[in-house]
Amino acid sequence: MKIIMWLVLGLYLTSAQALQITDDRGVVVAFDQPPQRIVSLLPSLTETVCELGRCARLVGVDRYSNFPEHVKALPQVGGGIDPNIEAIVALKPDVVLMATSSRVADRLQGLGIKVVALEPKTHADVRRVLHLLGQVLEVKDAQTVWRVIDAAVSAAAQSVPASARGQRVYFEVNAGPYAAGEVSFIGETLTRLGAKNIVPAALGPFPKLNPEFVVRANPEVIMVGDRNSVLMAARPGWGGIAAVKAKRVCVFSPAQADVLVRPGPRMAQGARLMALCLAGQLTEAAP
Amino acid sequence: MLPSSRPAFTLALGLLGLSLALGMLGVAGGSTGLEPLSTLWHAPVAQQIVADIRLPRVLGAWAAGALLGLAGAVAQGLFRNPLADPYLLGSASGANLGVALALVVFGGSPLASAWLARLGLTGAAFVGAIAGVLLTLSLARGVQHTLRLLLAGVIVGVVLGAAKDMLTLAAPESLQAMQAFALGTTGFVGWSACLLMLTVWLLCMAVAWGLSRLLDALVLGEATAQSLGLPLAPLRLGLVLVLALATGCAVAQTGLIAFVGLAAPHLVRTVVKTLHGPLLLLSSLAGAVLLLGADVLARLLLAPQELPVGVLTAVLGGGYLLWLMHRRVRLGAAS
Amino acid sequence: MTAMHSVAIEAHSVTASLSHVPVLQGVDLMLGAGRWTSVVGPNGAGKSTLLKVLAGLLQHSGTVSLLGRHLCTWTARHRAQTLAWLGQGEGAGDDLLVHDVAMLGRLPHQAWLGAPSGADFAAVEQALRATQAWDWRHRALGQLSGGERQRVLLARALAVQAEVLLMDEPLANLDPPHQADWLAVVRALVAQGKTVVSVLHEISMALQADDLVVMANGRIAHQGPSKEPATRLALEAVFEHRIRIAALGDEWVALPRPTYPTV
Repeated sequence: MKIIMWLVLGLYLTSAQALQITDDRGVVVAFDQPPQRIVSLLPSLTETVCELGRCARLVGVDRYSNFPEHVKALPQVGGGIDPNIEAIVALKPDVVLMATSSRVADRLQGLGIKVVALEPKTHADVRRVLHLLGQVLEVKDAQTVWRVIDAAVSAAAQSVPASARGQRVYFEVNAGPYAAGEVSFIGETLTRLGAKNIVPAALGPFPKLNPEFVVRANPEVIMVGDRNSVLMAARPGWGGIAAVKAKRVCVFSPAQADVLVRPGPRMAQGARLMALCLAGQLTEAAP
Repeated sequence: MLPSSRPAFTLALGLLGLSLALGMLGVAGGSTGLEPLSTLWHAPVAQQIVADIRLPRVLGAWAAGALLGLAGAVAQGLFRNPLADPYLLGSASGANLGVALALVVFGGSPLASAWLARLGLTGAAFVGAIAGVLLTLSLARGVQHTLRLLLAGVIVGVVLGAAKDMLTLAAPESLQAMQAFALGTTGFVGWSACLLMLTVWLLCMAVAWGLSRLLDALVLGEATAQSLGLPLAPLRLGLVLVLALATGCAVAQTGLIAFVGLAAPHLVRTVVKTLHGPLLLLSSLAGAVLLLGADVLARLLLAPQELPVGVLTAVLGGGYLLWLMHRRVRLGAAS
Repeated sequence: MTAMHSVAIEAHSVTASLSHVPVLQGVDLMLGAGRWTSVVGPNGAGKSTLLKVLAGLLQHSGTVSLLGRHLCTWTARHRAQTLAWLGQGEGAGDDLLVHDVAMLGRLPHQAWLGAPSGADFAAVEQALRATQAWDWRHRALGQLSGGERQRVLLARALAVQAEVLLMDEPLANLDPPHQADWLAVVRALVAQGKTVVSVLHEISMALQADDLVVMANGRIAHQGPSKEPATRLALEAVFEHRIRIAALGDEWVALPRPTYPTV
C-alpha cells in the first residue's frame, strides 16, 4: 500500500515537472526541464529569447539574426530556410526555434532534436510568443516584459502630435511596388499610431500595387522600407503626390528596416521610428 | 520594308489594329478598373494620370514587346533553332548581375544611393546585359561557330547566374529589389524610357532588316550561305550586336519578361510564311501586342493590385501556342 | 563575260582535313571547261570535301584556281556569281516558300538592299521550270516530300546562272524520271558552255558524264574521259572489283557484284 502511494506521488511529481507546449504547427513538445542550449533560426525569436533574459543560453543563430550585437559572435548555422543541419546537430541543442514555413523541422526531429516552430506575424502573435517562450524558459515575469513593450508602443502613439494624426500613409516594403497593408504587422503599428493606411485591409498584408493607385490615393507621408527602391520623384506621375512635394518621404536604413519589419520585442522601437516620421522629425538623410 | 505578300500585309495591319485597340483599353483601365474614356477626359486628376502614367506605360509596353519580338526573331534565325530566345547569349544573366552589383555596391550608403538614382538601375541592367553578351562573344572567340556561340551563351548564363546568387546571399537586403526586377514590370516606365525604347527599336529594326538577307541565306545552311558570297562573320556580328542592344534596352526598362521573344516569331510563322525581312517586322508587332495585352490584363484583373506581367505573357503566349498545336494535331489526325 | 578557258578549275597539291583528321592528301586536278565531270569513289574517299575545297568553302593548303585565277584573288561576290555550289544534306528551313528559296540563288547578283529585278524573276522561273517545281512555287518547303525538296534546292543552285556548277549528291531522293530530268538539265548546261562537276554515288549515272575523277583514300586514283577503258578499269579497281561495268547499247552501266559465300 505504501509502495503504491509513493509510486503515485512520484508519478504526480514527475508529471508536474514536465512542461508541454503546443507550437504553431500544432505539435505538442514536452520538456522535462527548461532547455539550456538553444539554437534560433528566426531573428524575431532570437530577439525574444534575449528580451526574456535568456540570451546566455543561445548557442547558435541563423545568419540573419543580428540583434543584440553579441549574438553576431555566436556560431551561424545558415539561414532559416536553408540551415546547416550538421552544424546544428554539432551544437547539441536542447531545442531549436524556427519558423513554421521550414521543412527542416522534420529532419531535425528525425535526428532526435526538439523543435519548436513559431512564426509571429501580428501584435497578438508577439504577445503569445513571449508568453509561450516564457513558459518554456521558465521566465517568471514574461507578462511584465509584454506590458513594458505594449506601454512603450502606446507612448509612441501618444507622442504623435494631434495635428499629425489621421495622415494618409503609404508604406512601401520594396520596389514592385509592394506595400504594407492594414493587416500586416507594420500596418497594425501604423493604425495604433493613428495613421491612415492608403492600402485597405481587403487587399491583404503585402499587395503588389499598380503605381497609379498610390498616385490617386495621394498619401501625405511615405515610408520606404527598402533603401534600394527607385527614387520616388523619378517615378512617372509621382511628382504630384503630396508626400513627395512636401518631402515627407522617410527612407529607413537597413538596420531600421529590420526593426520595423520584425514582429518581435523591438516593436516599440519600430513604433517610435514611425512616430518620428509621422511627426515630421525624420528626414531622408537620417542614418 | 513592308511585306509585299498579301497574307503578311494583312497580318501586319491586323497586329497594328490590335495594338491600337489594346492601347485604348490600357489607357482606359488602371487602378480603379475600366473607366470610359469620356469620364477620363473631364477630370483633371485623371487627365494627369493618363498623360503621365498610363500613356507612357502603354507605349512602353508596346515598345518593350517590339524589342523583345525583334530580338527573338533574330535569335531564332541566327541559330536556326526554334527554341532560341533573346536571353540566349547571356544578356539576361548579365542584366541580373548588373542590377545585383549596383544594389550591393551602391545601395550601402545614402550618398551612394543618390548615385544609384542617377545612374539608375536601368543603366546598370543595360550595361550588364551588353557585358554578358560581350563575355559570350569572347568566350566563343568570335562568331565563327554557331554551336560554340550557343554553348558559350549557356555557360555565361549559368556562371553569371551563380555569381548573382552568391551576391544576393551575401547581401540579403538586396533580395527583394532583385526579385522585383526579375519578375518584370512596366510600372515605372515614363516618357523618357518610352521614347528611348522606341528609338532603339527603330534603329535595331533598320539594321536587322538590312542584315536579314543573311538570315534568309542561313536557312539553307552555313556552307550554302557562304557559297552565295555572303561575309558570314561580320554580318553575324552585326546581328549579335542588334540582339544585345534590343534585349539590353528592353530588360533595362522593364526587367526580365520571359516568353515574349520566344513566342512572338512562332505566332507569326503559324499564320504566314515569309522571308526574314518581313518576319522581323511582324515578329516585333506580335511581341508588342503580346506584351501590351499581358500588361493590360495584369493591371485590370485584380485592380488595384497588379499581377506580375511575366506570368501573363507566359499564359497568353503559351496558351495560344498550345491551342495551335492542338488544332494542328487534330487536323493531322483527321486527314 | 570572261575569256574562254579550257580549264575551269585547277587544283595543285591540295591537302585538307576535317576536325584535324586528314581527308585530302595531295590532290592534283584539272577540270575541263564546258564539260561535265563526275567525281566517284567509295565512301569516305573525300569526294564531298574535295568539292567544298574547290568551291572555296574549306581551309586547305595547296592552290586552287578558278578560270585561270587563284581562288583567293576572287572577291566573294564575284566568285559567288561565277561558281554555284549545291551541298549534300544542307538544312533547309520549313518556313520558306519554294519561290523564295529559289530566289535566294540570285543573292550574288542582287544589290544589297535592292528588290529582285526582272532578270532575277526570269532566272528563278527558268530554274523552277527546269526542275518541274514551278507549279507549286507558293507552297512552303515543309509541305514537300524529300524528292520535291531536293528539286527546289537544285533550282536554287540553277538560279545562280553561274558558269561553274558544283553539285554534291544532287540526285538524293529523286526518282528515276526526275533523275532523267536532271540529266537533261546538265546536258543543256554543258551545251551552253557551262561547266558542271557532280559527286554521284549512282555510278551508272556518273558514267554518263564526259569525264570521271576516280578517288580513293583522299587521293585521285584516275582522271579521264568516261569513254576510255582505262577509266572504267580504274573504277572497278577502286571499288575492289565489287562492281561490274557492262555495256548497254552504247552506254555503260555499273552493277554491284555480290560475292557469294563459299561453302
